[in-house]
This record gives sequence, structure tokens and C-alpha cells, in this order.
Amino acid sequence: MGVELFPRPHNLKSFTTSRSALNRTRILLRKIAWALFTILFVIVLNFFIFRVLPGDPARAGIRDPRLKAEAIEMLRVRFGLDKPVINCFESLNPVKLGSCNVNPLDTQFFIYVRNLLQGELGISYHTNRPVAEVLGERLWNTILLIGAGQILSIFIGVVFGVFAAWKARTSIDRAAVISSLVAWSLPTFWLGIILLFWGSKFGLPLAGKATPGASTYPLLQQWGDIARHMFLPTLTYTIIFMAEYTLIMRSSLMDVLSEDYILTAKAKGLSTFQILKDHALKNAMLPLVTVIAINLGFTVGGAVQIESVFSWPGLGLAIFEAVARRDFPILQGAFLLLAISVIFANLLADLTYTYLDPRVQTE
Amino acid sequence: MKHKLLFVLVIMSLILAACGGGGQASVVRIGKPNSPDNLNPGMAILAAAYTIFELVYDSMYDLNLDGSFKLSLAESMAVSEDGLTYTYKIKDGIKWHDGKPLTAEDISFTYNLYKDTPEYPYLNGYYTTYFDTITATENNEVVITLTEAIPNIESQLVFLYILPRHIWESVDKLEYENFEMIGSGPFKMAEYVQNEFVRLVVNKDYFDTPAKVDGVTFQTFENQDALVQAIKTGQVDMITEMPNTAADSLKSAENVELVIGAPLSPGVTDIIFNQTEPENCPTDEGGLCTGHPALRDRNVRLAMSHATDKQKLIDLVLVGLGTPGLTLIPEGTGVWYNNTIKDFEFDVAKANQILDDAGYADADGDGTRDMPDGSRPLTFRLNWPSDSITSPRTAELLSEMWDKIGISVELQAIDPDALTSQCCPAFDFDLIIWGWVSDPDPSALLYVYTTEGIPFGSNETGYSNPKYDELYAQQQTELNFEARKAIVWEMQQIVHDDVVYIIPSYDVQVQAYRTDRFTGWLTDQPKLALEDVTSLVVIEPVK
Repeated sequence: MGVELFPRPHNLKSFTTSRSALNRTRILLRKIAWALFTILFVIVLNFFIFRVLPGDPARAGIRDPRLKAEAIEMLRVRFGLDKPVINCFESLNPVKLGSCNVNPLDTQFFIYVRNLLQGELGISYHTNRPVAEVLGERLWNTILLIGAGQILSIFIGVVFGVFAAWKARTSIDRAAVISSLVAWSLPTFWLGIILLFWGSKFGLPLAGKATPGASTYPLLQQWGDIARHMFLPTLTYTIIFMAEYTLIMRSSLMDVLSEDYILTAKAKGLSTFQILKDHALKNAMLPLVTVIAINLGFTVGGAVQIESVFSWPGLGLAIFEAVARRDFPILQGAFLLLAISVIFANLLADLTYTYLDPRVQTE
Repeated sequence: MKHKLLFVLVIMSLILAACGGGGQASVVRIGKPNSPDNLNPGMAILAAAYTIFELVYDSMYDLNLDGSFKLSLAESMAVSEDGLTYTYKIKDGIKWHDGKPLTAEDISFTYNLYKDTPEYPYLNGYYTTYFDTITATENNEVVITLTEAIPNIESQLVFLYILPRHIWESVDKLEYENFEMIGSGPFKMAEYVQNEFVRLVVNKDYFDTPAKVDGVTFQTFENQDALVQAIKTGQVDMITEMPNTAADSLKSAENVELVIGAPLSPGVTDIIFNQTEPENCPTDEGGLCTGHPALRDRNVRLAMSHATDKQKLIDLVLVGLGTPGLTLIPEGTGVWYNNTIKDFEFDVAKANQILDDAGYADADGDGTRDMPDGSRPLTFRLNWPSDSITSPRTAELLSEMWDKIGISVELQAIDPDALTSQCCPAFDFDLIIWGWVSDPDPSALLYVYTTEGIPFGSNETGYSNPKYDELYAQQQTELNFEARKAIVWEMQQIVHDDVVYIIPSYDVQVQAYRTDRFTGWLTDQPKLALEDVTSLVVIEPVK
């Protein structure tokens, strides 16, 4: 789903004007319109998908005889759960039909949409804190961790991939492929736990983003503290994702290297380095750009497994905890954020594509 | 060049940070697998939040580890003849963490706040039920009048943490996040990062004996293996819990002491029989009442009790870290636990005999007994919450044990929330492995058996016994301690005789601390809670 192809009227004129700015703007606008439409769809889906889950959020995780019926009702009122989900439906699981004559503006769905339009993501059922605030804190932690991991793994992955393709079918290539395959197929949580135990022997921290009380240290030491906490999760992330990039880069570059124009370049007497740099790499980058864009989009979802193994307070962990507690507002907010960033990253990939490969523009 | 400089900086800061920790030798670092949900005492639900409240706030009473209560903020208490008016004389000179004086005004303000805020799920509904009026007098006294005379004012007040009026009267009592947490307790809030850590520093001006350490930090470990590794490598000084399977590996760890005891909030594992009679089915509340009819027969429940080898469950599932269960009121509640009840002994032959006599024969010879009228086999659904670590193994063993008496079970783990909606008050199940955690006072758990609790979903078995309901009401207002205890014991005997549940085991608390960091942990008390204020105010750094 990286590059979206849209139906296009077949007329000769479009060929002659295809490179015109007008046409480009039209394509761009159409893509943005599709992106907005997708987000709208996600907003609707986001609401219903969690309410189809069985159970009552007002009671999730609370089983206590001290909690009287009145108290539960109060919780429901506070979170707006006493209102019908939407006209004709009291609740979705168990399906409980209700009156169709309710004021549509007084249903959970429309209140949700109205709040969203006002930029309100609601209040977490579990912590009573505004969702936007919670997700905001978590988002930065995730971007810090996954961002560092992505940059490292892209850089190392591309270098390894180019090297393996260049030395194709030698023992270096085989070693690179086998180690990448092994790294890629390692269960993330397993690798994480192994590294966690290994690192703790050298005094690397076992949990969290910072040592409690680190905020009282001098600034430089605070950064050092965060860096120490980041080291192992970033390493785990890099190992897993680097392998993916290596394999894609290698196979894509090998495809390009078998093209006729590369042969021509060789015949012209260009050095291997020149061929790679000027003729092969740019074309070979295309599939990688797609994968990177998609992965970057998912970055905000965090890496649930890595974040829970290392107790890293990011979005992935927030989602994991919210699922267990039926914390719908947090889940809705997180999934909306995730959807928007994936859609945005895809849009970006499309645009980068047109830059890398001018042929795409004519589509 | 620039990159090189940055690199050197990072490395240098790494080294600096590695040397950092040394300066804070007398800060107790506690690792735990959970974190507070909310610091607003009215809104908080999780025990992790209450641990922090105990340290930062005071309440009228302290709860000792032997289950007894001690006056805390008050120097004396007087109760009227009719038991309806309590007068507490508050100590002079108590100060809030911001330096302002704590007076009877603050206390009456707090109690009225809890009483008048029905949105507070716990503090309002349960603990303030009997409050009529609360006033402060000029002599720094708090006068509480009750609507009914009750025997357990201590356990009603012990979790009602006193809040500073000068802050709480001007905040939104529901939305207020209370991150600054001005209290009067032995520790002050220094820093709170939700889901990461809570950092407290000692309150040197505490009116009672101040703590001997400089501070306490609670760090959250989402990963329990990491938690255990953290105490082994000395990254934390104490861990509040661990998987039972990890306990063995800590026994041999250097400088680590493993301690086992009864938990502060006693937990109980139970096997729920759905025995809802059709006439008690709460259809208005969504009751489906699909329970197997055989479970309404005491003989079947009794036979299953006799066929359940509790010790084997404890040995194999809990690695020996549990005590055999008896009644729903766990032994950790101390005096309320009726230890005179004689349990149904493990005896497969006897269990088979009971079923034979009751007419449950295996009519079709498929190895499973059938209803006396042959209508359906004794095949029960056995469910448990999918987040339980121990239940899958328990369920397998139960399946083997009950197979020996011709009862077969279909095992299925269910998402805890879905299970709640299936359980109560829907009663759409046969058997569930679940559990409760008890209050210091037995009243809350005794409520689980009442007929009144059926439509509320508190009663999870559908058990209904008018005699029991009557005793429940009686014990709630019986002022004489011995008389109340007798009623509570009788109630436990009644439900035991009726085989409402099988109680396989009571929880055991397993904790560990570093011997090379702090000494003086309270490990010889009837209950074990090293993270409780009782320990944290007495421990001192190892010299």
C-alpha cells in the first residue's frame, strides 16, 4: 500500500501536459483527499471496534464487593457510558437494542465525534487524566527510542545491504544474509530479555527511561542517564530492524545491478563505486523508501514488545496497558495518532517516490 | 569534527552517570510491578496508590501489621453511651508539608468531602455509609455522629486520608490530579512520573518519630523477570512481589534475603459454583442463569470438594507458596477467620459414594456421570481470567481430580472483562476459578454471599440463604466485639456447610530485600509488607 495508483482518464492530452505543475497539483490534492477520507474512516472504526469488545469499562479490572451499584453508576455517568452508543443501540456487546428516538446528539458516538472536532480526546478511564496529555508524554518517549533505533538500523542496514549486494555470492554476502535472516526471525521479546540480563551484569539499568531522582542531576548527567537507559532497547530494536533493511537493500540492489544499463556503465569503464553511487543506488532505494515510510508511520505505535520488556514508558506500553483495562479513550487516541501517522508517512513516501523516480509522476 | 565532539560528550556523560548513584546511599529504592492509577485519594482504585497515601498522608488510625489499630492524629477518643457520637481530640502542633498547621478543621473538611462526593467510588460508597455529621470544635476536636451504632469505626476511618483544606477547598475534587500531594505523613512527595516512578523524601518535621532514611523511591517494572534481576544486581533494595517460580533463585542470591508471609491485604483463590436458583435469577440486570442444574445440588458440590486435593494444587501450582484455604474470609484477617471449621477431607472414594447415593450414575457408560433423570451428563464449563498465571495449571489439575469421580470439565480461559460480564449478574457459567482480596474488616467479603448482592453482581454464586442474610445485617451493627465475632464465625460455618465455594488456597506474600543496604525491616510480624509505612519509618542504612 506504499504507492497508490489512481485511475486516470486515458487521453493523449494528459501525456503532453503530464509534467505540468497543474497536473501534479491535481494528483497531490487527490492523494490528500484520499488521506483525509481514510482518517475519517478510522475515526468511525476506532469508536465501534472497541465497543464491540465484551465487557463494561466502568468495571474493568475492578472486582470488589466494596464497590456498590451506585458507585458503578456514578462512574458510568462520569464517563458518559450511561448514554446509548448510537441510535437504536444501547450497547454493542452484548448487543442491546435501544430506542431509535433518542436525540442523536446525545449518543456516545456523536459526543465522541463532537469532542474530536473540538480537539478533545477525552479522559482516561483508568487515570482520570486527559488523553492528549498522557499520549503527549508517551509520544516523545517513543519517538526518542524508536527514532534512534530507526536511524541506526536504516544506516547500518543500508550499508550492510549494499556491501552484501556488491559482494554478491561470496562468503561475505552469505554471512550477511544468514545473520540477517537469523536476526530478523528472532522473537523480539526474547532477544530483549537476553540483552537485558546481559546488560544488567555491566550495570545497565533494567527498567524505565530515567533513574528516579535523575532530575536533580546536572543536565549533562541527566542526558547520560537517559542514554544509559536507552542503550539496550535501542540495541534490540536496531538488531531486529537492521536485518530487514539489509535484506531488502541487498535484493533490490542486486536486481538493479543485473540491468542492461549497468552493463553499459561497466563497459564504459566506470569503477564499481561510481556505478553504485551514480547509477544503481538511487533506483535500488525505491523499495526501501516504501518500507522505511511504513515503518516510520508505525513508529508512534511504539514497539509494544520492546517497551514492555524494558518498561520503556512509550506509546506501545500505553496501548498494551489500555487494552488490559478497557481504557477506550486512550486506545481511541493512540489508534487515531497511529492511523494519522501511517497515512501521513505513506503520503510522504508517495511524494518521495515521485522525486526519486520521475516516471511515477506521469501516473 | 563536530560528530566526534558529540560522541566524546555522550561517552563522558555515560561514565559520569555510571558514577552518579553513589551520593544517595540512604534512599530506599523499591521495585514493584505496578504503579498508582491516581494520586487523588477519592478517585484511586489500585493498592499501589494506597501504598503512597499511607506514606504521604495520615489518617485517624494507623493499621498495624498484626491487624490492630492505633490512634494516629488524635491523642484521645471518646464515644457516647449510645455509640452514635465519636469525639476525637486532635494532637496540637501537627504541620502540613507546606508548613501550615493541621487542625480538626482539616479533618472535618476531609470527611465531609468524602461523604458528599458520590463520584468517589470507594471512599464514598463504603467507608462513609454511616456518617451523619462531622464537625470541628474550637478545642481542636472532631465530632463524628453516625446514623447507626457500628462496631468497626477504626476500619471505616483508616483509609480516609486527611487532606489539607487550604488546598482542596479550591480545587475540582474529581479532576484534581494532586501531583504535589501536600500531606502530613512521614514522607513528602518530591517527584512523580506516572507509570515510571514515585520519589518521596523524608519529612523531618513529622509529629511522630521521623523516618531514619533520606527518602524512598518506587520504580515500576513492567517485566517481572527484570524486577527479580534488579534485586540480584543491586539496582533496587527491595522488591514487593515476584513470580513464585523466581523465589527459589533468590534464596541462593548473594546479599538478598527472601521473606515469606501473609499479605497485607489477604488474598484468597476460590472456585465459584454457579448455583443460582431460577427464582433468584436477576433477569432485569441481564441474568441468563445458564448454570448446570447439577451444581444446585449440594451433593455434587460436596463430592467435588472431597475430590479436590488442595495440598497438591499448592505444591504444583504455587510451588508450595500458599496455605490451604478453608473459608472465603482468609486467615490473614486474623480474629475473623474461623479456624475451627473442619474441612471436607480429600477422599475420592467418599466423593464417589456421595454421587452414587445421590443417583448420579454413568448411564451411557462414557466415563462421565449423568443427571439422575439421564437428561444430561455432568460436564461443566470451567473458566478463569486469561490474565491469571496460575489458573491454567490449576484448571488442568482440577480436571484430572474430578475426572476420578466421573465429572468432566471443559476448560477455557476468558478475558477478565468478558468473564466479569459472563459471571455476574449474568450467571452465564458453571465454574470459575477466581479470587478476592480482603479488607481488614470481614464485612465486605461476607457481603459476597448475600441475596442482596445477586443483582449487583457482587454475589457471584447466586447463593441465597435468608438465615445468612439476617446474620449479615446483624454483624454490621453488633457493637460487642465477641458477639460480632461469634456471628461472623457462624456465617462462615453456614456457607462452608452449604459448599458455596471450594477455597483451594490463601495467597502468600513473597518479598525480598538487600541485606547490604538497609536493616530493620519488619519481617517477624503477622503480616508481611516491607513497602508499608510500618517498615519504612524504622529501617536504617547498613553502616
